[in-house]
Amino acid sequence: MNSIADELQRRHQLAELGGGQKRIDAQHNKGKLTARERLLLLLDENSFTEFDALKQHRCQDFGMAGQQFPGDGVVTGYGHINGRLVFVFSQDFTVFGGSLSETNAEKICKVMDKAMEMGAPLIGLNDSGGARIQEGVASLGGYADIFLRNVEASGVIPQLSIVMGPCAGGAVYSPAITDFIGMVKDTSYMFVTGPDVVKTVTHEEVTAEELGGASTHATKSGVCDITFENDVEAMRQTRRLFDFLPLNNLDSAPTYPCDDPFDRREPSLNTLIPESDTQPYEIRELIEKVVDHRDFYEIQPDYARNILIGFGRMEGKTVGIVANNPAVLAGVLDIDSSRKAARFIRFCDAFNIPVITFVDVPGFMPGTQQERGGIIKHGAKLLYAYAEATVPKLTLITRKAYGGAYDVMSSKHLKSDLNLAWPTAEIAVMGAKGAVEILNRREIASAEDPAVEALKLETSYKERFANPFIAAERGYVDEVISPDSTREILCKSLRMLENKSVKKPFKKHGNIPL
Amino acid sequence: MLKKILIANRGEIACRVMETCQKMGIATVAIYSDADKLAKHVSMADEAYNVGPAPTAESYLQIDKIMEVINRSGADGVHPGYGFLSENAEFSRRLKEAGIAFIGPDEKAVAAMGDKITSKRLAAEAGVSTIPGFDGVIQDADQAATVAAEIGYPVMVKATAGGGGKGMRVASGADDIAEAFRAASSEALSGFGDDRVFIEKFIVQPRHIEIQVLADKQGKTLYLNERECSLQRRHQKVIEEAPSAFVTPEVRQAMGEQSVKLAQAVGYHSAGTVEFIMDADKKFYFLEMNTRLQVEHPVTEMTTGLDLVEQMIRVASGESLSMSQEQIGINGWSMEARVYAEDPARGFLPSIGRLIDYKEPSGEGVRVDSGTFEGGEVSIYYDPMIAKLIVWGKDREQARQRLMEALDSFDIRGVTTNLVFLNALVSHPAFASGDISTGFIGEEFPDGYSGDGGNDQQKELFAVIAGYLRAETRLRAADVHASDADSPWKILKRTGSAS
Repeated sequence: MNSIADELQRRHQLAELGGGQKRIDAQHNKGKLTARERLLLLLDENSFTEFDALKQHRCQDFGMAGQQFPGDGVVTGYGHINGRLVFVFSQDFTVFGGSLSETNAEKICKVMDKAMEMGAPLIGLNDSGGARIQEGVASLGGYADIFLRNVEASGVIPQLSIVMGPCAGGAVYSPAITDFIGMVKDTSYMFVTGPDVVKTVTHEEVTAEELGGASTHATKSGVCDITFENDVEAMRQTRRLFDFLPLNNLDSAPTYPCDDPFDRREPSLNTLIPESDTQPYEIRELIEKVVDHRDFYEIQPDYARNILIGFGRMEGKTVGIVANNPAVLAGVLDIDSSRKAARFIRFCDAFNIPVITFVDVPGFMPGTQQERGGIIKHGAKLLYAYAEATVPKLTLITRKAYGGAYDVMSSKHLKSDLNLAWPTAEIAVMGAKGAVEILNRREIASAEDPAVEALKLETSYKERFANPFIAAERGYVDEVISPDSTREILCKSLRMLENKSVKKPFKKHGNIPL
Repeated sequence: MLKKILIANRGEIACRVMETCQKMGIATVAIYSDADKLAKHVSMADEAYNVGPAPTAESYLQIDKIMEVINRSGADGVHPGYGFLSENAEFSRRLKEAGIAFIGPDEKAVAAMGDKITSKRLAAEAGVSTIPGFDGVIQDADQAATVAAEIGYPVMVKATAGGGGKGMRVASGADDIAEAFRAASSEALSGFGDDRVFIEKFIVQPRHIEIQVLADKQGKTLYLNERECSLQRRHQKVIEEAPSAFVTPEVRQAMGEQSVKLAQAVGYHSAGTVEFIMDADKKFYFLEMNTRLQVEHPVTEMTTGLDLVEQMIRVASGESLSMSQEQIGINGWSMEARVYAEDPARGFLPSIGRLIDYKEPSGEGVRVDSGTFEGGEVSIYYDPMIAKLIVWGKDREQARQRLMEALDSFDIRGVTTNLVFLNALVSHPAFASGDISTGFIGEEFPDGYSGDGGNDQQKELFAVIAGYLRAETRLRAADVHASDADSPWKILKRTGSAS
């Protein structure tokens, strides 16, 4: 018996060491932590329980038979984050460059299946060179096994991917399907084809960082939802994000202890909207002053900055926040911002997270670039997401709500539960200048001084339409509120909406304009 | 007693004056520009009137419009605050014509003290110690050299119409006098439209010490002791205190008595300030007299227990001063720091914007005179001073400690402020020991200030604070309510109600 116990200990020790001390040192020298170190930081102390620590690959080709590392390049199991169950896998770059083998994929699939049975989230820490070439199609099959499970789990349990090293080729599609992708600056990259292939095919010279580094995906492609400075921050922030999320689609989001009064007044919000309606302001201030403890977890902060999305809490309960940002492109809706917000709203809807929308939108972005890029279909995604969502929906118009964008931004007509407006709200088909140019073209043209006439008409248009009253008279706006009481009214409304339930017609699934 | 006072100013001083008016049961009238519609002084006042667009020349300096507001509101007195129209002879005259009380000195006193050459002559005649210098306008560089040699180098060439540091040049020897004359007069011409300059002795290691005087219309004139304002940046006061650590009771009395003599010589009434420069041997020389309420008046109030605005209003109403010189004491110590929206790391570049967060410090001995609020705006149109932080302590060290603590707990976000710079000044060993001069900031912080990164003890403190916050967050997170126990997941899945 002793010898078995000894052998077990020896194998566990080997598993702990991954690819060996030399490779661990190499990993550290790159400023990266090992697969196990990352899990230690991600999970509560002593909460990690491992599966398949002794699992080994079965490859006989290319001299692989003699190279065995218990665990086979991925650490899997479950643990807790602040006491809540989570399933994890963490790819180990020190073993065969973290490459995905058939057995490696089996381990990942095992935790995914468990997560689906238990209704608990899955967090994957990606750090892998790609497919294990020696295994050929068995490795490819492993990827697809994972993709399928990612898709099945989508909308059932939250899935987070944290890319902490390379993630290239087919491997990118697992994170792509998951709900949020985090990337560590300078040490991680994601692309379908690497710089060498790019050079051969398109003759472009590009570095891995430029092609698929964290900053590229965080600012240009929008693939990355959250960027981290380093591995330690990545794990800490992932814990923070996890705390906003429910375990599964039948659970409610967790309740955080909250000592921030629900009726906290913020008189400074009364002066948030500048005097001139063309002057920008920072909508982030409104968000931070309304949510609990100013704790706002922004998603995609550097991408399509004309719209803001992220999580906050009201009286301890998670809410999703969508807000046009007048400080960037006047908060206009374009392709990127529509897609960004639409996907976020669908996440919130899938996981029972109420959505609060702050509206200050001048309309959709005009131009050939947008039209040729398909703004029609992309804008429709946002509209679809809002209309489809059955979670509590609250809307506050702070300033502009013009034209089609008014309809899209969680209007009353899309079954938003409560539509509020500040006294500064202007709900109209378009701004005064554009409106009088169309409505009063002849009067202006025939006037003695067209400029003066136009200005006069603009002023009278503004008096009539640049306020929330017409919408309020029709009930499109439920209430016009004082900015300083925004938090109180939102909190009360969320309490009222807590048990909202809506019947939906049977359908396999809708056909969102992808 | 006046019934309704119009405050012809904005910002902190307008609020400060209104506070006293409210205390005395006097109605207040505010004026405001388009940029100040939502300002604190407007909401504080009983009545408020718009006097024009944001630029001061089109609003706060518009005498005609202000006179009209006085007429409409029925105000019987005007407090000018400082700056703006506080030393404007035309405004005083118009008020007098309209029979409105100007809460400040008589226009003749203002005129007499307004010109540097005249005021120096009057001071000398009244027996006030003046800086050795040539009592007249210098015509050319040759005359400048002769006069400078008589006075003895170093000398300062100064514009007669000057102020705020413009039109001043130091010549340390015969070699630079011609250049100093040329530079000072051309700067004076471009700055004030008046190229007349004079020459006086330049004091090395000078300290700026000023005497607060208070006089009624019946002829009683008191001195409320000194303030030291040696910490200056480009001739702008940054930190002021009362009393001065450098002044002895004998010197104080001599300065006070001379100041009273000067005030009496020009028939002064209301509050005024006689500014002196003091050398290392505690010899003091008259600089100028400011015929208005000073920015730094609160340190005098904190140490004398008098409300200077109240006294000004009483004097303007014709009351006589009820206290005697013997009753004016010095109780404890007071300091004032001027909190500005400016960036000490970038040459004190003014910073403008919205005050996203604005929480004033409070606590024992802490007073904040401010004219803004959270959500308020620091605009390009006006002085970027956000607030005056004033503290009182039983002695200088306690006051200094309280000032440091209050500076640390002042929470301002949205604009860059000089708070860290102020703290660096107050915590400087030289300031702690009282060893300062008007050149201190220029010598110690020639390139502004961008933080010293903290010493080991401060770093440790930061680590402790960070640790505390982290522990708090962790405790909160650890208490997150997990709904696993009776999760609908389990119930619905097991009964087959959800697939």
